[in-house]
Amino acid sequence: MGLKKLWLVIERDMRMFIQYKFLLIMRGIWFVAQVALFGLVVNKMVEGTTESLGISYFYYYAAGVTIITLYSTAMFIGYDIFEEAEHGVFEYLLTLPVSRRELVLGRSIGGGLRSFIYVGPLLVVILLILGVSNPLHLLVAVASLFLFAFGVSGMSITLAVAMKSGDKYDILIGVLDALIVRLSTTMYPMLYMQQAMPAYAAIANFNPLTYASDLFRWATGTEGFIQFNPLISVLGLFIFFLGFTFVGVVFYERRLEGGNWQ
Amino acid sequence: MKAILHVIEYDFKNFFRYRWFIIGLITMNLADLFISAVVFTQMTKNIPNFDYFQFFAPGLAVLGLFASAFMIGREINMEVRREIHHYLLSLPMTRAELAIGRVLAGGLRGMLYMTPLLITNFIVLRFPTLPQILLILLTLLLLAVGISGVSISIAVSTTSFEKFVTARGVIYYLLFFCSSVFYPMSIIQVLATKGLGNLVLFAQINPLTNGADMIRSFLLDSPDYVFSPLMLLDVAIFSMIFVFIATFAYMKVLQRH
Repeated sequence: MGLKKLWLVIERDMRMFIQYKFLLIMRGIWFVAQVALFGLVVNKMVEGTTESLGISYFYYYAAGVTIITLYSTAMFIGYDIFEEAEHGVFEYLLTLPVSRRELVLGRSIGGGLRSFIYVGPLLVVILLILGVSNPLHLLVAVASLFLFAFGVSGMSITLAVAMKSGDKYDILIGVLDALIVRLSTTMYPMLYMQQAMPAYAAIANFNPLTYASDLFRWATGTEGFIQFNPLISVLGLFIFFLGFTFVGVVFYERRLEGGNWQ
Repeated sequence: MKAILHVIEYDFKNFFRYRWFIIGLITMNLADLFISAVVFTQMTKNIPNFDYFQFFAPGLAVLGLFASAFMIGREINMEVRREIHHYLLSLPMTRAELAIGRVLAGGLRGMLYMTPLLITNFIVLRFPTLPQILLILLTLLLLAVGISGVSISIAVSTTSFEKFVTARGVIYYLLFFCSSVFYPMSIIQVLATKGLGNLVLFAQINPLTNGADMIRSFLLDSPDYVFSPLMLLDVAIFSMIFVFIATFAYMKVLQRH
């Protein structure tokens, strides 16, 4: 497998990302509104309960929103795949002197990498607000978030190639987004999920967003009521990354065979 | 009037073509209520006489109303881009009838989608009296038509779908986060202490705040929510302004093409 060719595929996906400039601006506005408005006001609303646990909800939520943004931008790669199928770009891609495996793996890595580049500045701002507990923790967390972004990108590719309709994909992503975010610790600590409905907490225990947000809070020292051993979170994200990158690559490769995307 | 009814019928048929989209929207709304609101109820249990689930349920009806009434803009933006309005202009009706029909249809579709959410509110909280129900429906209809007007105004001012989606996002965040849909008005005052006093003022006059608080005044036994005719007036003014702007803008766009 040629690394140079792989890099060309990754580079192309990163360039494609810029075409979503308005959606990216909207995501940025959403991020600011979530942190500066929703975070501040809800912090006031829940401070009586969360302070007893030593958590500032504002800080807790700011870290969670960063992970949600990373997740949602990594999902964009699926939309690219539908666009390409609709506009006949697949055929062009297949004529390039790049093997199918390089093409597919490059897309998976490119999808994750570009979302990380987008979230990078937001991540720095949040780190300035929250601080860093330990540089080594931060290094582990950032490396794990890379795996998380690649895993989400692989998941998006898997879903996109498994569906024939762009509209249905769009809706599935919306529904998945609603459930995967709400059933994770990005928005609220596990303790309250457990109290509200043990089934929610049980699902959240296996949610990659829970692992990612807990690790990020661990790195910034705002872990509050962290449930996981960081090692388990790292392991969980590694399995998520491996599973979906592998499945995504296999599915995408199969779909390329014999014009299955049409 | 008959022509307007035909336009409304056309838009209702289109609405049901988006059944998957509607299913997705319902799932998201129910996830908000039965996951997020249930967890936040645990997180706010220290606040005396406050149940977040009960507080949020009326807000959810407004949330659903907004999302579904806004969908008309997406369709009109698509029609402008694909020049389907040439066909619409060939129909035996005036431009004003077409424009008014589209604005009303957007609002009525919002009401249709919101109805099960409102009934859920009645079941979970309590059944209001008949005059209260009529008042709630009137206010929500005005709100829905106003939202439809906002959506159409944006949809016809750009031929780019991305710009439309971006503008929709900005309006959505501003209207929802600066309203009492997710949190009580008394808590929003915290923004004033952070130098965001203008946003507090905006939240007070926000039609979504007035719509949600009016439902709460009839469904929650709380002294914090008392019906005031000013709530209805606020929503009515919002509705009138945006129905006028949307009708005028839509007619202008049709004329230009």
